[in-house]
Amino acid sequence: MLPGVTADQKLFAETAERFIRSTCPVSTVRRVAQREEELDGGYFTEIGELGWLALFVPEEHGGGSPSGQPVLDAGLIAEQRGRYLQPGGIVGSNVTALAITLGGTGEQRALLDDLAGGKALAAWALGDPAGGWEASAGVEVRRDGTGFVLSGAKGLVQDAHLAGWFLVSAAVDGRPALFLLPADAPGLSVEPLAGLDLTHRYAELVLRDVAVPASAVVGQIGGDDLGERLLQVATVLTVAEMVGAIGELFVMTLEHARNRAAFGRVIGSFQAVKHQLADLSLAVECSHAIATAALTAVQEQAPDAAELASVAKAFVGDAAIDVSQGCLQLHGGIGYTWEHDLHLYLRRLATDRVVFGDPAWHRERICRLHGL
Amino acid sequence: MSGQTADGLEAYRREVRAWLAANLDPRDDNEPARLRGGDAANLSPERVAQQRDLQRRVHEGGYAGITWPAQFGGQGLTAAHEEVFAQESRGYALPDLGIAGLTTTRVCGPTILAHGTDEFRRTHIPRMLSGEEIWVQLFSEPGAGSDLAGVSTRATRTDAGDWVLNGSKVWTSGAYYADYGLCLARTDPTVPKHRGLTWFGVPLTSDGVTIRPIREINGSSEFCEEFFDDVVVSDANRIGAVGDGWTVARTMMVFERLGGDPDEAPRHSGARELAPDLVALARRVGRLGDPVTRQLIARAHVIDLVKEQLDAYVAALAESGAANPNLGSYGKLAAGTLNPVRASIGLEIAAAAGVAWHPQDTEASTTALNYLNGRILSIAGGTNEMQRNGISERILGLPREPAHDLDRPFNELRHN
Repeated sequence: MLPGVTADQKLFAETAERFIRSTCPVSTVRRVAQREEELDGGYFTEIGELGWLALFVPEEHGGGSPSGQPVLDAGLIAEQRGRYLQPGGIVGSNVTALAITLGGTGEQRALLDDLAGGKALAAWALGDPAGGWEASAGVEVRRDGTGFVLSGAKGLVQDAHLAGWFLVSAAVDGRPALFLLPADAPGLSVEPLAGLDLTHRYAELVLRDVAVPASAVVGQIGGDDLGERLLQVATVLTVAEMVGAIGELFVMTLEHARNRAAFGRVIGSFQAVKHQLADLSLAVECSHAIATAALTAVQEQAPDAAELASVAKAFVGDAAIDVSQGCLQLHGGIGYTWEHDLHLYLRRLATDRVVFGDPAWHRERICRLHGL
Repeated sequence: MSGQTADGLEAYRREVRAWLAANLDPRDDNEPARLRGGDAANLSPERVAQQRDLQRRVHEGGYAGITWPAQFGGQGLTAAHEEVFAQESRGYALPDLGIAGLTTTRVCGPTILAHGTDEFRRTHIPRMLSGEEIWVQLFSEPGAGSDLAGVSTRATRTDAGDWVLNGSKVWTSGAYYADYGLCLARTDPTVPKHRGLTWFGVPLTSDGVTIRPIREINGSSEFCEEFFDDVVVSDANRIGAVGDGWTVARTMMVFERLGGDPDEAPRHSGARELAPDLVALARRVGRLGDPVTRQLIARAHVIDLVKEQLDAYVAALAESGAANPNLGSYGKLAAGTLNPVRASIGLEIAAAAGVAWHPQDTEASTTALNYLNGRILSIAGGTNEMQRNGISERILGLPREPAHDLDRPFNELRHN
């Protein structure tokens, strides 16, 4: 947990953990992953009641955050969700709520109450199927009278199968724009993807000449700041989920090393094992440190918020692979079994590493942010 | 003398400001940074004499040892006063006695304050503050580095109650211009290794002391090795009880870790610029537009920021009070593992220009020098392996390896 969290934030995070452990522990996540059980709407209305989806929503629409620092509060929830591999991604809903709050029309704002309460879920379609994360990626927009027609495809849309709404990034006349589309818009289809992660599901959002009115635009066309802000928030919340997962995976591995015996000793007493654990714990602590800095900067809209968000994703994205691989190695054969939870973490982390920008994409972005 | 109130501090700030303006020269920002391995790393006798004078002036002005006890020549003020002086003096040329100067005030002085007798402290601490005595630590030996308690430099007692020192020490920064060494010696080899150790303050001008510079891989000779042949040391120069040297050593290691390396000093500045050294390098070799180079530059920047944020995070945890006191090892291991990566990145960007250059092109050699120096913090002040032991045992709570050297007398152990 971050140094300097308030008592309210601590309570918020502890309540979240208690809820997860009683309602959706990793054993349940596994059944959902194996399609033996589905998340019903009840999960989302319950987390709506807990306030996880209301953090970026104004009070008059049923929103609010415990500390008045929604990014930090959402980061605390994200960390717990990562620790317990919670299904049903909520970054998309939170980011969509933020977009509507900052730039939505009166009509769009009516959706905020449902988003805050978990009665409606949204997903953010940003990247294209080839892995570009610029707003313009994958979708063409042409003007049609006062409205627009969208065609193309967006990739890696998280838990699109649950979404009633899509926030679609695209470019109009070369300028970035955001569109809010209902899932039943004619020409819009969700094509499920098979993939590495079993806990989140991913899909392509295919848009075949989807006609939308001007009122579907969120914020201004060319309103660069809004899209940038959403990218920063989505990035740091994904990073916070990863930090939670990395930390839990490490603790699981440390416990294994403390208990598993070989050659008459616990394996955690061998220097060859201890040194690997020390290195992994350094990666865990560094991840925590940079995630904390990035969350704080994005919360405060500090001048270096964009940079720190990208640095955090670049670092934690790489650390996630190192820690996953290292923990698998230290578990030995048991870690290679389907039955062990380790691979659920390994799969999720390798996927989160890519969602909202892989490390190489963020490194190039860092250069550009510095005018290079 | 100013009080501790806000008004008192402001009055102190005014005094400091006036004194600095009247007594010190402004810092010359054009003076090249003292690079390890650069020719400037070695201090000439003239430079040392000049810097001792400057140190004496600061001491006479009442600004040396600001938080040190007044009865030993310090100022007896608070950390807040020290911070005021640090803020105000930033733009001035402060005394720079090299690494041995830092060892004197950050490691040896505090250790002697903690364990020396009153008489010893009254004699030596004021001299340390005035630049009259420069102290180094005589710690590592050719036969004992990470295994510090395995030192074999021997101190035997004379009938008169004094001591005779025989053995050798190594990796002593700046011993060639120092006056005293704080020396860990074995006074009883018949007991287990941690129990037979004692500390001495050894005048480096004593008969039987030989100091030789060590040539390092970067060509410079900042470090020295010392040989002790029947060097007589007065019992008055003993620091701490006979046989209690390990207690003193632990104090000293804490100060050593806090004292840091001058290379590390600008912790929270500079990192925000995008790896300026590497951007300049890439521009020089014409690769700024190359996507591979851009990835490497960003990787280095990520390393810089993560190290900075790790330090800030550990400091914030430490301030919260509940943190494990060993967390500082993370900063050390991060530097020890990431600095070499960063140095290699420079080499990769420079390619041919990093390994051969026109002799007159002094800038071009920096990449190679950084590469040669890249592992300094992986080894010096506790190797990566020692940090990993510390982290795994004292933070993660894993068991120690079975030890063969804890209960047996030192003279029955295998050692170098």
